[in-house]
Amino acid sequence: MPSGTVRQELTDDQRREVFGRDALPYLDQLYSAALRYTRNPADAEDLVQEAFTKAYRAFHQYEPGTNLRAWLYRILTNTYINTYRRQQRQPTPVSVDAYRDGLEDGGDFSLYDRIAATTQAPAEVEFLRQLPDDEVKRALADLPEQFRMAVYLADVEGFSYAEIAEIMDSPIGTVMSRLHRGRAALHQALYDYAAARGLLPAATGDAGGSSDDE
Amino acid sequence: MNEDCRDVLDRLEIYLDGETQMDLEAAIQHHLQDCPPCLDRAEFERELRALVAAKCRDCAPPGLLARVRIRLRAAG
Repeated sequence: MPSGTVRQELTDDQRREVFGRDALPYLDQLYSAALRYTRNPADAEDLVQEAFTKAYRAFHQYEPGTNLRAWLYRILTNTYINTYRRQQRQPTPVSVDAYRDGLEDGGDFSLYDRIAATTQAPAEVEFLRQLPDDEVKRALADLPEQFRMAVYLADVEGFSYAEIAEIMDSPIGTVMSRLHRGRAALHQALYDYAAARGLLPAATGDAGGSSDDE
Repeated sequence: MNEDCRDVLDRLEIYLDGETQMDLEAAIQHHLQDCPPCLDRAEFERELRALVAAKCRDCAPPGLLARVRIRLRAAG
């Protein structure tokens, strides 16, 4: 690993200037991620400030020319996980395992198939456009942490598997499995919200509203 | 739906993530060109992701940038 001391010689003023120019433009994106992670605006603001401060202090370790956005997300994600674990005292693996069991047959949920079966026509995304943003955000927020983060990083931020693995410090296979299951659960929730709002033209008496019955 | 379709649909998620090997990617593209039902499903999945992405973005509240700058100044 390179020593990463390239920026060591920057003065404080220069470091502030370069950081302000290169890193701070990601503020909206990092805030958006922080809000998805914490599910709470006040915590999201704290998290973003904390993450930027850490990134700034560690900026001499960032290698110019490498992926700054992924580097910032990694710091944001680590900060969130450490803070979260400290605050909540809730061992995440337990909830992930419980979720995995709960999704035993939900991991293969296909929104396309569900809508097609309900409306008896080729599925269209159009119905879902009328869902309020807040309900889509809530559907994402309801996913357990590890799934929420993977889906957010892939589907909203467009990170690659390798980048997400780096950001979340997880093997790529784990990332893929979280993505697959997280998306299935997210899409199922979107279907339920759309059905509850009557956005799906019902072709039969069975609107499929029993999708998450226990 | 034939066996080709099943193969493609099994890999559709990874394909849409842009994570398939080049030759496999070309094979899937080729299949989608010739198979309207698979293409329809692929388009649905693509639009669904775009919709989720569009609805899950927020802007930082006013003043946050200024507060971050103050924190950075204090950090040295």
